Amino acid sequence: MFTNDQIDVGALPQLENLNLKPIDSKYLYIILINILSVFFGLLGGLFIARWISNDQGFRSFALVLLVIIGLIGVMSLTIYYLGFKNRKYAIREQDMTYTQGYIVTKMVTLPYNRIQHLEIKRSFLSRKFGLSTLKIYSAGESGGDLSIKGLPKDVAERQYAYLTQIINERV
Amino acid sequence: MSEFNFENPSRQSAKGILVIFGVSVFKVGKGIVIAGAALVLKYLQSGKGPDLTQPIFIISVLAIAIFFLIIAILRYLNFKFFLKEDYFFLQKGIINKEEISVSFGRIQNVYIKQNLLQQLINVVSLAIETAGDDKTEIEINALSKTKALALKSKLLAEVKAQNTNSDELDAAETEELYFKASVKKLLLEGMSENHLKSFVLIFAFLVGIYQDIKEFVNSVEFAERFRGWFQLNSESVMTLLLFNISLVGALLVVSFFFSMIRMFVQNFDLTVIRKPNGLEISKGLFNKISLSLTSSRIQTTTVSTNRLKKALGLYKLAFTQAMANKKQQLSFSVVGLNRNQIYELLDQFYPKVLDKITKHKPNIYIVYRRLWLNVWLLIVINIGLYFLPMEFLLLNILFVLYIGFNTYYMYKKTYYHVDENYVVLGGGGLIDTFSKYLEIHKAQAVEITQTIFQKRRKLASLTVHSASKSITIPHIEKTEALAISNFILYLVESQNKDWM
Repeated sequence: MFTNDQIDVGALPQLENLNLKPIDSKYLYIILINILSVFFGLLGGLFIARWISNDQGFRSFALVLLVIIGLIGVMSLTIYYLGFKNRKYAIREQDMTYTQGYIVTKMVTLPYNRIQHLEIKRSFLSRKFGLSTLKIYSAGESGGDLSIKGLPKDVAERQYAYLTQIINERV
Repeated sequence: MSEFNFENPSRQSAKGILVIFGVSVFKVGKGIVIAGAALVLKYLQSGKGPDLTQPIFIISVLAIAIFFLIIAILRYLNFKFFLKEDYFFLQKGIINKEEISVSFGRIQNVYIKQNLLQQLINVVSLAIETAGDDKTEIEINALSKTKALALKSKLLAEVKAQNTNSDELDAAETEELYFKASVKKLLLEGMSENHLKSFVLIFAFLVGIYQDIKEFVNSVEFAERFRGWFQLNSESVMTLLLFNISLVGALLVVSFFFSMIRMFVQNFDLTVIRKPNGLEISKGLFNKISLSLTSSRIQTTTVSTNRLKKALGLYKLAFTQAMANKKQQLSFSVVGLNRNQIYELLDQFYPKVLDKITKHKPNIYIVYRRLWLNVWLLIVINIGLYFLPMEFLLLNILFVLYIGFNTYYMYKKTYYHVDENYVVLGGGGLIDTFSKYLEIHKAQAVEITQTIFQKRRKLASLTVHSASKSITIPHIEKTEALAISNFILYLVESQNKDWM
């Protein structure tokens, strides 16, 4: 049966009414550990180099660099911390949405009938915290893939199973 | 029935040895070109040339050549392909044997290509493109043209037989030669290119090899001669200015020929054959390539022109395709089309799109943002100019004029349109104009981005991702962006149309 009713655009399911769920708060620790280890590694290396060196020019240069790196470190920590509350996801019947970012907030929505394949990733740290990353790939060349970091392991696996089922039913 | 039997394993044309040999020599050559150049330079500097007649030298070169020749022959002998049941089989490898099989159902497209060497010995290469796999690369390097065409049509026929739901049954009967770019058209296209782009390219290249050419320039006393031409001895501002202007002028002439030759080489003998379900395009002087575009695989289409080209009635149509293999051609363009042809082709792939377009404007913030970014750029440029004589600051008048006009036309030309079938985005600047088209059911995901600057104004940008390039509608009201997203998601999710 062919129908061609006019679509009431206002009555469509609305993204703005999504009830976005935050990711597991433990993921904040992973972010902090990652950032801190990078910056402390850099600062530590530089500090040791400065300590060993006798060259006065290098020593003053290293001091400036230490301060700059420290500032950048504090800034990125702040931005990641502020942005953490934006890391949210929502699951609807037909698609999945993920938001992230602080200075630039992004909201990507991926319809289930465009999913190509799925992946669950668990880094060393996320294993320690019992978290997983769920990656959902579309055929998008220029982006449009979802990577939901910091899901509790069981949630990620349930989602994975759920989406796999959807994909299998589709074909 | 073709005269070739593809059921039995067959090798490439014996000339394939030459192609493999040539390719490996080319690869090795490319690898050692810098070392080679360094050696040559060293010899030239030391004043005595290498003694090429020394037996050890000749023997080692010969040995390397023979080694590669043997490898090429072995590769040739171990390379076999055949069709069996529903599969295309390829066996290759000298020590590590490899057998690739591709079911006809997975074949997406079959290409015929020809590089310079292949043109010289009159063979073509045939590449098979498959769905869903990044790594498999199936290319037969040397086939006689008749055999390649027979294999191509055989494969495509099998593919069609597999895809029972395809509506392209009478495709072969109704093809027509739609467009052939004449030499005059190509010359016009080349002339009306944006030479500034080539200029920047050449300039960057020259800066890159600056250290290397510096010695050469010094050795021929280039600068002194230049000064001689202008008969100026003092380092006055005029000398510097004149020197720089003539240098820029020379570079512009070079860029002009560069873009012209590039246009000519890339698009030589451009031919478009129109079929009900797509186009068959072939072009190229040294690297000949022919491919078929089917409308189901086209992702985004871009129509572009510039002021000069528009006056000459020249438009470019560029397609991007969905492709599994990243190495293969993602985008393909046809130059030298006139307005009517653009309309016809667009109407073939995007029926009625042009009649339906209602132009919506992005928020005026797009202008502020562009101006703001350009102010920063201007400051950076001025820091550079600060170190030059005062007169150079006059260049700022040019920059400001350019920024003003460019921004004005950018805003004037930017528009977007979304309906139940298409997303359309127009744009450009002072010189260029473009419009992009995407079918909604080819959308893979939608993305709304909002910077903190946009947030204050309740604006956002909307990106529609396709299986190739994406389309971004910049700086619209956030509520509008959400409404468009809802609409696109609704269409994609409710129709369940295949995107490929």
